[in-house]
Amino acid sequence: MISLQKLVAEVKNLQPIPAVAGQLLAVADHPDSSMADIAKVIQYDPVITAGVLRTCNSAYFGMKHPVESIKDAVNLLGIDQVIELALIKSGSQALGGSQKGYGLDAGEMWKYSVSSAILAKQVAARLSLKGRNTIFTAALIKDMGKVVLEKYVAQASGRIADLVENQHFSFQEAEKKALGIDHAELGAMIAKMWKFSPRMVNIIRHHHLSDETKSADKQIAAVYLADCLCMMLGGGVGSDGLAYRFKDQVMKQLGFSAVDMSLIIADFGTNMQEVEALLQMT
Amino acid sequence: MKQIVGVADMKVSNNPGESIITYSLGSCIGLVIYDPAVKVGGMLHYMLPDSSIDKQKAALRPYMFADSGIPRLFKTAYQLGAAKQRMNVYVAGGAEILDQQGFFNIGKRNYMALKKMFFKNKVMITRQDVGGNVNRTVRIEIATGDIYVKTSGSGEVKI
Repeated sequence: MISLQKLVAEVKNLQPIPAVAGQLLAVADHPDSSMADIAKVIQYDPVITAGVLRTCNSAYFGMKHPVESIKDAVNLLGIDQVIELALIKSGSQALGGSQKGYGLDAGEMWKYSVSSAILAKQVAARLSLKGRNTIFTAALIKDMGKVVLEKYVAQASGRIADLVENQHFSFQEAEKKALGIDHAELGAMIAKMWKFSPRMVNIIRHHHLSDETKSADKQIAAVYLADCLCMMLGGGVGSDGLAYRFKDQVMKQLGFSAVDMSLIIADFGTNMQEVEALLQMT
Repeated sequence: MKQIVGVADMKVSNNPGESIITYSLGSCIGLVIYDPAVKVGGMLHYMLPDSSIDKQKAALRPYMFADSGIPRLFKTAYQLGAAKQRMNVYVAGGAEILDQQGFFNIGKRNYMALKKMFFKNKVMITRQDVGGNVNRTVRIEIATGDIYVKTSGSGEVKI
């Protein structure tokens, strides 16, 4: 078991996701916010602004004239795209490293996170859910807990592998059994310490739906489903593999069929260059 | 030289200096074929069993689906002199999430689609490493036909 005190100390040493992400979310998913409000929040952070502009000017977007301000970017790409770029830029430092305990080299978990966020966006659109930016961001940062937990997972790798391979535990259940905490709980703790909204903390905590009653919350269910899709697609999946639980009843609750699932996978496969373009954003 | 097969992609080669690799097969399938007599090898990385869900995408990205991708892989290898009766066939991937059942089990459906086509066309699988909950990377060396598989978190193993 790891002591909570020790974990708190480690979280304090992490490079946090910049405060602008939380502020941006608060504005972006608020129905009364204007584009100007949103642009103002982004402009306040020079690093994020520079990252967004660089990506806007990359070959992927094929702009005729250079985009020189957040206002330009909003006019040319639309507010949703600019919000996404800013959120991605905010998460790239905190999540871009290697997590050897999960068998992931530098950038692999980040690839998974970005893919997951794009899938979550597709799920949210297909199900006409509210709070799309919150869903997108939750999918992007939900594995934050792995950044801290990875070294403990490495130390307990034999025990965890035994629980998963021989005793029918999911990887998350095995983390909890071997370490006393799993990456979803730890991720929620980190999000709380970084002052993300209670909503965001809640989605991160339940993103594997170990508590099935939480599937009534459609935002949680959407992030969960996007995570399942992302595992199946394989990019950036670590040594925990696909050893998480699939819940048929969540699909039923959401009204999400196997055909819906295939269509989202096909869409994702057609737009892989979007992920590649977003991954250049470091 | 390493030829990389992306997601919904295919490569065929007869260049002995090359190896072909595809990364991170989750529920997707990596199908590898090799004719040792002419040293022609190919690899397909498909995502879904059946192109009928979206004909437009199938026309645009035929390697995304088993039914549109597999025939193209074999035909492209035939063009380089490979022959069906000499072909070694290796299948990897098709992993599943725990408790994933029925139509939602895309990994198993991907594998069944391939089996069905092979049965109809009398193609035998030489070796396979499919199912389970692991993520696989597959590589073939064209000079020798040697195939290597790596699962996330462990080393590459020759099979």
